[in-house]
Amino acid sequence: MVRRDFLKSTVKIFFLLISIISVSVFSIFTYPWKFKRKELTFFHATDEEALPIKGVRQVFIKHIRGNTQINSKAFIVNSGSELFALSPVCTHLGCLVNWYRPKNRFLCPCHGGQYDMNGKVVKGPPPADLNRMPIKIEDGKVYIGLRV
Amino acid sequence: MGKIFDWIDSRFGVKQPHKKFLERPVPEGVNYAFCLGGASFVFFLMLVCSGLMLSIYYVPSEQEAFMSIVRLNNDVTLGAFIRSFHKWSANLLIITIILHTIRVFIYKAYRPPRELNWIAGSLTLIIALGSGFTGYLLPWDQKAYWATEVGTSMASTVPFIGKYILYLIRGGEDVTGATLIRFYSMHILYFPTIMFLLLWAHFHMIKKQGVKGGL
Amino acid sequence: MAEKRNKEFYPDYLVEISIVIFIAVELTVVLALVYPQLIGRQIDFSTPYRPLPEWYFLWLYQAVRYFPGRWAFIGTVLLPFIAAISLIMIPYIDRGKRGRTRAILVGVSLLLAFVVLTLIPYISP
Repeated sequence: MVRRDFLKSTVKIFFLLISIISVSVFSIFTYPWKFKRKELTFFHATDEEALPIKGVRQVFIKHIRGNTQINSKAFIVNSGSELFALSPVCTHLGCLVNWYRPKNRFLCPCHGGQYDMNGKVVKGPPPADLNRMPIKIEDGKVYIGLRV
Repeated sequence: MGKIFDWIDSRFGVKQPHKKFLERPVPEGVNYAFCLGGASFVFFLMLVCSGLMLSIYYVPSEQEAFMSIVRLNNDVTLGAFIRSFHKWSANLLIITIILHTIRVFIYKAYRPPRELNWIAGSLTLIIALGSGFTGYLLPWDQKAYWATEVGTSMASTVPFIGKYILYLIRGGEDVTGATLIRFYSMHILYFPTIMFLLLWAHFHMIKKQGVKGGL
Repeated sequence: MAEKRNKEFYPDYLVEISIVIFIAVELTVVLALVYPQLIGRQIDFSTPYRPLPEWYFLWLYQAVRYFPGRWAFIGTVLLPFIAAISLIMIPYIDRGKRGRTRAILVGVSLLLAFVVLTLIPYISP
């Protein structure tokens, strides 16, 4: 009966191996290993004269992702002492935030996250502050860096 | 009609194995609440039929998806109706599955020997919810896009490996055409196939164990 | 028919099933005709938008609000996972003495959590 037991375990191991190999091939195949790495590119957003003296102004950036034209948004903030650009993407789950002037806060419509003028979390579930975007001013034109 | 059936039956033999099933006595204490499971199955079949029809016109690509829905609605005869039909049967399917689960729970029909059938049923509910989530993206409009953006971002909150799960679900860093085709494939191939297998198991066990009547 | 015949699956039960099938199809047709699916707006990457999920995911939508910062994964992943597991394990929760009581506790709390969390976004948006 030794031979029979050996055959039995061979069959079991064979089918176990087949399932393990199929599952791993499936997961390796489905995982997007080689998606396009994003590179930092600067886009013309607005002119220097249009920058806010003190406060927040939203600008739109046209760019192309894949084959689709995308109109992205960014906030340019002048806090009085510092000029910087904030990404409108809520750090919680990726909704876009609104600038709500009466309260001087960025509000996320999805789950009620709130950020102050500097992008710091004031209230709600977001785990981190709003991301800052690279900004540079050349020849009176404002450029904002996007990862595309 | 009967002759054709007999001709098929004499070769294929469908009648004999199902005779016991068709002629079995129905236990005491069965009422209309026991129809909820059957109703869910009806809604599932309606979803399969209307889904098969929709898939003839739908184009799962980033550029075409939205336009194909608009075309379906405006130019295709009965297009808007079949789309609403699909949506409504999906909603009613979830409602009836939940009610069916509550019914089974109240009648203690999950007790041995029916535990495995309860597990199969719960998995069916989960797959149905997954189908609802993946189907939500397919119209590729404003609501679909942002709901998926939020829904898939939830996976990224898992400690340590969240980012990789997110890439796996989205097929990249953002919700793009790659995500659309992934969700489409899940919605029309993977989930319905799993659902059919689960339902087959579900019905097989009902056939074997019978309906539990009475409280 | 003098003797009382036991009800059999076919045709007694199947007739009742046909009624249910009829009602199910009619209900869907009527709902689809009265409340047709509308065409959404095209995707806009620049305007803030509050996407409400389907009604059967509203509980999750509401639950993620309660877990701020790095605890977010409790609301988004852990709680749904626990809910799913406890739903599947109900036959094993109902074991031994007081098993039914425990099962009822788990079942009712699952249902209650689902209903309450779904209703909150409707009442106070």
